[in-house]
Amino acid sequence: MRIILSTFKNSLIEAWTNRRSFWLQVSIMLANDLVWVLFWILFFERVSTVRGWDRSRVLLLFAILTTVAGISLGLLANARKIGQLSAGGELDAALALPVHPLAFLLVRRVDTGLLGDLFFGPILFVLAGEPTLERTAIFIFGSLCGAAVLVGFLVAIGALTLFIGGTGEQADLGFQTILILASYPVDIFGGATKLLLFTAVPAAFISGLPTRLVDDWQWTTAAALLTAALLFASLGVALFNLGLHRYSSGARWTRA
Amino acid sequence: MTRTPYWAAFTDGIRRTMAAPAELAVRIGFFAVILVVFSSLWRAATQANGGMIQGYGYRELLWYVIAAEGCVIATKPRLIEEIGDDIGSGDIAIDMLRPVSVVGFRMAAEMGEAVVRLVCALSLGAVFGLVSVGAPPSLEGLLAALPAALLAVGCNLTMQYSFAAAAFWVEDAKSTWFLYQKLIFLLGGMLLPLELLPGWLAGIARLLPFWTTAYVPARLMSGHAEWHLLIVQLGWLIVLVAAALAAFRAGERRLVVTGG
Repeated sequence: MRIILSTFKNSLIEAWTNRRSFWLQVSIMLANDLVWVLFWILFFERVSTVRGWDRSRVLLLFAILTTVAGISLGLLANARKIGQLSAGGELDAALALPVHPLAFLLVRRVDTGLLGDLFFGPILFVLAGEPTLERTAIFIFGSLCGAAVLVGFLVAIGALTLFIGGTGEQADLGFQTILILASYPVDIFGGATKLLLFTAVPAAFISGLPTRLVDDWQWTTAAALLTAALLFASLGVALFNLGLHRYSSGARWTRA
Repeated sequence: MTRTPYWAAFTDGIRRTMAAPAELAVRIGFFAVILVVFSSLWRAATQANGGMIQGYGYRELLWYVIAAEGCVIATKPRLIEEIGDDIGSGDIAIDMLRPVSVVGFRMAAEMGEAVVRLVCALSLGAVFGLVSVGAPPSLEGLLAALPAALLAVGCNLTMQYSFAAAAFWVEDAKSTWFLYQKLIFLLGGMLLPLELLPGWLAGIARLLPFWTTAYVPARLMSGHAEWHLLIVQLGWLIVLVAAALAAFRAGERRLVVTGG
């Protein structure tokens, strides 16, 4: 555990070393997030509510999504690169350490730009999420569960590269798909798409369900979210462990 | 028959994209997801709004999305960053050894790649649209939208080269791709038709070139056969090509490459 924490600390220091670049990238991400907020504000200027979703509820969803993205893609940046690293035979450095290689890989790299999301999400929640002590606690719980689902899903589809080969194209598509599906209210989708959001591409657990919980706490919904978080995290670890048996070194000693 | 270097770059671009089917499949697969998301959003929104939003019904909006997203997805999302990297690393100096225009040669190759993606995206979009809502609202609009889609891709590429040229002067210019993308999203009419923006913002959008990349083909495809939009696009394309050429000419004069 100490090695993992030290590695994580080093990754954060590395991201912070070039201050100018750090603030530039964070600012660009904040501007990016603001454009999405502007989009939703303009959208709801023309359409008052869509299947029970109004402006404030969508902004709450967006606050949760950006927080989840900040944790999963900013702090644990390698979560989305498992496919590429496996395909390139770049896991050697992680395999030689006395810690679980997946844990090391996840904390090894911080994406500076996406840390902007980690600032933006909580700020948006404070400004538009009507925070109370109870709602804030649920916001944190929902964001952490959403992050576990997203990381587990990304690791799982990345680890598929170890079974099916290629250069991780399916991981790229899965990453883009889950993020865009999680960016919109879950209730606008119907039929097969909605089923997909609760199963193969679990976007509903990343933003939709946490938003519902903040607005209306139900123990059954919370239990479903927690179960999904545990399931997808376990799936990611299991597929990665199984896939490692098929890993071929690229004889490239990289920083991973 | 001898091929001009630009034509050769264009056809090589086509071949290169066709030779990487997995990458193409990911891009078109993502386009399919976007269509599912936006068709769901606009269906729900028009239902909640009595069937029409600012003159657009669900059918018009779906064909709008197909054209707007199809044209934008045809170009590389991080092209500005790639060009910025080539300038920053000095790799662009190799292109300068050829007896052709650097920007012209590169844009020809990019156009070749983009045409393949555009054809695939619009073909998929056409099937999606026909199955979901039937044919485009007007044949005349469709006929105008097809050349507009090609012009949109051309405008997008040349604008990205103009933006990327900033890397000759500013170290972090490659990051501007992110802001450029957002300008296309909002002022380009990719996420929302300009008619849905507040009047003042729509006015600003119409003064800038971004709307030529998504709004124009999408507006035409959604049944509004406004042929003058093609002339506006053509005019902007000429201005943008001139701007990209001038920016690169000036940048190439001050390029300093260390090592090799």
